[in-house]
Amino acid sequence: MNTKKREMISCQDAVEKVYEYLDGELEVDWNDKVREHIEVCKRCYPYFDFERNFLDHIRSKGLRAEHSEELERKVRDMLRELG
Amino acid sequence: MPWRAREDRPADADTGHRVEQSDDRRKKAQFESEALVHLDALYGLAMRLTAGDAARAEDLVQDTVLKAYRAWDDFVLGTNCRAWLMTILRNTFINEYRKTQRQPAAVEFEEVQDRSVFEGLKGADPAELLFDRLIDKEVIQAIDALPDEFRVPVVLSDLEGLSYQEISDIMDIPVGTVKSRLFRARRRLQQKLYTYAREMGYIS
Repeated sequence: MNTKKREMISCQDAVEKVYEYLDGELEVDWNDKVREHIEVCKRCYPYFDFERNFLDHIRSKGLRAEHSEELERKVRDMLRELG
Repeated sequence: MPWRAREDRPADADTGHRVEQSDDRRKKAQFESEALVHLDALYGLAMRLTAGDAARAEDLVQDTVLKAYRAWDDFVLGTNCRAWLMTILRNTFINEYRKTQRQPAAVEFEEVQDRSVFEGLKGADPAELLFDRLIDKEVIQAIDALPDEFRVPVVLSDLEGLSYQEISDIMDIPVGTVKSRLFRARRRLQQKLYTYAREMGYIS
């Protein structure tokens, strides 16, 4: 087990990486650094939580949209004409 | 003499013709059952890529279906048809979009408020305060209001779940640009939703 304490990154460094972290786009090393920071930083934790909530909210809107019957008819007509 | 001509015709040519016809019918039936079930998904993506322009979205879906049908012989049955169709739609949109994006958009030079709205929110649970009160329509309108170069990365990342690298490949922009556009796009979205929530009296 590696007991050597890793040097903590600054709040600014963590905050700059917020979206890359939440998007799962950070390399392992940086991902660990950010995770370790927000685990103990009482200023950053609520902020990351807020941003995560925001992204979840946007993402949950998904791509829901119902196509119209007219579009379905147009598409089927088009296929029929292709003969 | 007609009856003579019919008899002279090689039997397999006649059979061949019928096989071709039924192959075509089978292809069409197969395409309808495999591909057309994804019309909602295609239309949903088209609507967000075109910022809610229903006529443009319908054209985009039709173009996609046509391309997919023409390439149907290349599609491997049993693989992810939805993903294949979505890729065709995305590429169709992007190719069209690129033609109109020859010159850098003015928005690149615009002053953008990059701060998170988090700082301005007071309360025990700022996220709950702000986001839980917004309805789908308000969020979708805010996404649609983003300029193209910001909206497209948001749609591909947050709604479609693509990686930075995938978005970079699709939009033909560096990964660093994807990163910065996503960052600015999301901050704009936040600002917009925050302002909206205040106007609606959801938050004070």
